Amino acid sequence: MAAAYIHLFRFLIFTLLQILVFNQLDVGFGIHLMIQPLFIMILPFEMTVIPLMGVGFGMGAIIDIFSNTFGLYTSSLVLLAYLRPIIFKLYGPREGYDPLKEPTINDMGFRWFSLVYGMLLGLHTFWFFLLEMFELGRIGFILQKTILSGIFSFLLALLIQSFILKLKPRK
Amino acid sequence: MRNLIAFLQRFRIFLVFALLQFLALYWYVTFLSFPRNQFLTTNNHIAARVLEWEHNLTKHFNLSENNTKLQWENIYWRKREPKFMYQLTRTNVKINDTIFQQQYSYIPAEIINSSVSRRNNYFTLNVGKAQGVDRGMGVFCHEGVVGVIHYSSDHYSLVKTVLTRDINIDVVIDMKKSNMQGILKWDGKNPRYGMVTGVNNDLDVKKWSLVETRGGSGIFPRGIPIGKVSSTEPVEGQALWKVEILFNVDYRRLQRVYVIKNLHLEEQTTLEARIPTDD
Repeated sequence: MAAAYIHLFRFLIFTLLQILVFNQLDVGFGIHLMIQPLFIMILPFEMTVIPLMGVGFGMGAIIDIFSNTFGLYTSSLVLLAYLRPIIFKLYGPREGYDPLKEPTINDMGFRWFSLVYGMLLGLHTFWFFLLEMFELGRIGFILQKTILSGIFSFLLALLIQSFILKLKPRK
Repeated sequence: MRNLIAFLQRFRIFLVFALLQFLALYWYVTFLSFPRNQFLTTNNHIAARVLEWEHNLTKHFNLSENNTKLQWENIYWRKREPKFMYQLTRTNVKINDTIFQQQYSYIPAEIINSSVSRRNNYFTLNVGKAQGVDRGMGVFCHEGVVGVIHYSSDHYSLVKTVLTRDINIDVVIDMKKSNMQGILKWDGKNPRYGMVTGVNNDLDVKKWSLVETRGGSGIFPRGIPIGKVSSTEPVEGQALWKVEILFNVDYRRLQRVYVIKNLHLEEQTTLEARIPTDD
């Protein structure tokens, strides 16, 4: 039960941080810092895909309402939640994941995390900017935004995990 | 049988995914054209309250700059006030004249939430229907045009800014001399630069000539500044210029704006509705 509270707490913190801090920052060069994919990423391994998509939908809808983006975050978070089990399966150990571990950098190591999260974040961010631009003719600009935002969001995710995520749910 | 169940299991997940995606995309596509439900924007009461609280914390960051701007604006209008001018002829000066009649009224407002780096940027204002703000009214500040009201609830409203894809404000380049007409657009890259399309290339567009509103649609009065021409390029295959302009307003730091209400708008629209159509 305590684990559920910690996840709820994380949900609130990640949503509020995204709405009140990272969405208000204007870094320039088309860089968009996004931490909400990290929340979906570090939900427990045993969570199945349908509840995962439900959580993604809810979180995305809240962020969309607060930043007047009308479904952009929702759509890309649902995509991320749908892809997560597929990519986890692709890079998982042969005997399956240890249910006592969390999909974070502290538990799974840098190599695994950067591979899986990098891929998920890249796809999520590409979908986000593709929808936002809605113009295939400007694929260069979309890719530039995706790559720059992806790199900085990834660094931010590393930072958050090494400094803030010391709160671990223990069963 | 087992395969069938496994297949259905897979399919069920994809079905839920498709349904959620459809909902999100439906929301996205419909809101870009016409907002139906105010609860799904920052206009809803809870979101606006939270953002107002956040704005109350951060609004002091640019305070001295904003005060300086307001002071300059006061000086600008003070220079035009007859009371403060030196009287050359010592006869009576009539201030209340009947030549001019008030056509626009103004509602001061504060931006409580804004973004400039998205493809379509919307600002949230702390005024709404209670103050007489409604869909389609113009929003500007002393330096230039900001946008058009997209939706308004009782106490808040949403501005579709010039930093959106299809803002389409009709503008005039170099109003005093060549008076070229065009339409304002934004390409989504830099919040300091916009574009004017539809300018014929038989006309000479000078660098740094002023871009102002045309005032044809009755949203803005004629001659509200927007920016200056920074570069011109020919459009390939068309007899048009691609004109890039530098906005007068730095939208990243904007805090206080005016909503403008055209008191003659109804008269204009009823008159224009009488234009016969070609049926």
